[in-house]
Amino acid sequence: MEKGTSLWKDAWHRLAHNRAAIVSLGVLTVILVLCFIGPLMPFVKSPTIINLANSSAAPSAAHWFGTDQLGRDLFSRVLYGGQVSLLVGLVATAVAVMIGVIYGAIAGYAGGKTDDLLMRFVDILFALPFLVLVILFALVVDKPASEFTEWVIKTTGFERDRVAPITTLIPLFIAIGAIGWLTIARIVRAQVMSVKKQEFVEAAVSLGLSRTRILFRHILPNVIGPIIIYTTLAVPGIMLLESVLSFLGLGVKPPNSSWGILIKEGADRMEINWLLLFFPSAFFASTLFALNFLGDGLRDALDPKSAKD
Amino acid sequence: MIRIILSRIGQGIITLFVLVTLTFFLVRAMPGSPYAEEKAIPAHALARMKAYTGLDQPIPVQYFRYLENLVVHQDLGDLIKKDGIKVSEIIAESFPVSLALGIFSIGIALIVGIPAGVIAAVRKNTCIDYSALAAAMIGICLPSFVIGPLLAVTAGLSLKSLNVAGWSSPGDWILPAITLGLINAAYLARLARGGMLDVLNQDYIRTARAKGVSEPRIVIRHALRGGLIPAVAFIGPAFAGMISGSFVIETIFQIPGMGQHFVNAATDREFFLIQGLVLFYGFLIVGANLLADLAQIALNPRLRKA
Repeated sequence: MEKGTSLWKDAWHRLAHNRAAIVSLGVLTVILVLCFIGPLMPFVKSPTIINLANSSAAPSAAHWFGTDQLGRDLFSRVLYGGQVSLLVGLVATAVAVMIGVIYGAIAGYAGGKTDDLLMRFVDILFALPFLVLVILFALVVDKPASEFTEWVIKTTGFERDRVAPITTLIPLFIAIGAIGWLTIARIVRAQVMSVKKQEFVEAAVSLGLSRTRILFRHILPNVIGPIIIYTTLAVPGIMLLESVLSFLGLGVKPPNSSWGILIKEGADRMEINWLLLFFPSAFFASTLFALNFLGDGLRDALDPKSAKD
Repeated sequence: MIRIILSRIGQGIITLFVLVTLTFFLVRAMPGSPYAEEKAIPAHALARMKAYTGLDQPIPVQYFRYLENLVVHQDLGDLIKKDGIKVSEIIAESFPVSLALGIFSIGIALIVGIPAGVIAAVRKNTCIDYSALAAAMIGICLPSFVIGPLLAVTAGLSLKSLNVAGWSSPGDWILPAITLGLINAAYLARLARGGMLDVLNQDYIRTARAKGVSEPRIVIRHALRGGLIPAVAFIGPAFAGMISGSFVIETIFQIPGMGQHFVNAATDREFFLIQGLVLFYGFLIVGANLLADLAQIALNPRLRKA
């Protein structure tokens, strides 16, 4: 007799057979390790030390990717920029997914008039110019965020250099998260609506469990697959959005830099030193590539429709 | 059919109303004021300037005045810092540029993206399919501000007739339109491929094959209509994406379109200009979505009953 396998084991099996997805997983791991653990290594130089005597240098043993127009080490700039880009991508996506899941789950589970009202609101927001609203939102939350920075410095006593790089990103998290949850809300609603008709939910109802408990403990765990797929596919979009905002001077601000900012600086001087454009773009594009392929792979692995082929 | 159109138009109007309200209050909530200059303006002068533009009123009063001007007089207001210039004049001046760029790029996106996606689907899991997918992935993953400068350097500098900046001769239009078009072509190709694959696996296609219909005829006459629905649905939002993408493209290629005004207006706190531009964008997007919906209904008879 064939042994039964769980959904997750099955999915993992399918994913492991998808070469593009596994390579992507490897690439992502390497990039994450490089960006978040790399800068702790002693041989990685500071991204901010200016050395005009050694500006626009070609790659060498001392500066693996060469230096920029101010003589700063490009390798470490790319790593530190990656920290910011990845952080924005992941946190902003997490914010968006959290809002979207709760909103969509409530709409789908409540049904009827509540559902109509909630989803009509989503329809309206969907038709609004996305980037425009993110820009306006980012400008609005800018001031409270800088007040928050001051407050954190005052209450915790940390130095500004340690607090500011993180707190200045908060406007971006909020702005992107506040606008980016619409698609996930639609997906989760549709999933919840189909799951809530199944017998195990009926069983939970007849056991007398509360609606909140049924929704969060019984229904949501069963729609986690599409949520994971969408999240993976949403991160690259949000990272791209961050880079566009930074390119326009409205996203990540100094002292932070991100891949978007590095790419913009590189594009400005690519006729003088094309490596300044090449290295950040290569890191950025490979991350986005890997996330997209991983997302596609996860979709194939977790989507029951694809289970037969 | 008419009922569907009417309900979509009604929904569009509500959307625009929400947009106007949202932008109005977001703009008022922004830190800084339009009068923040390097030199402090004397208080009495500032008061007179604010009275002139109506910015001295309480915000709810300003809001209803703005709505009244908008609905009754179809007036978007004037610029705050430059006297006597209307917001509508700025839009009228820069919109044709953005529109021309948009039409060219959507044209390029359709001509490149749809055939690429359809061919990839027909030749599924072959070299052609994989290279089309890989090319599309590159278009999706590289930001427009990388593709733009790369094209500008490789094509613009080798072909002297193409200019990399400005917007005066037709030669100026080609590179920005290609940049913007290729990015959208990438999305279109993926959607067209996915849609075509779904349709090509359906029973009625098998029936057509069993009848002995030739393969090109199956693709063109039977599959295309259903297979392009996802791609058509994308064109409406793509128009929105094209506008937002054009912020970047217009900066790179120094094109005098609407994008630059939007970014400058936001940093200069030109309240009425921001509101006017956002409303205008919103209007375009609502219109584009309406057209996309109608095109979908035309392609898919099942939607006609809804």
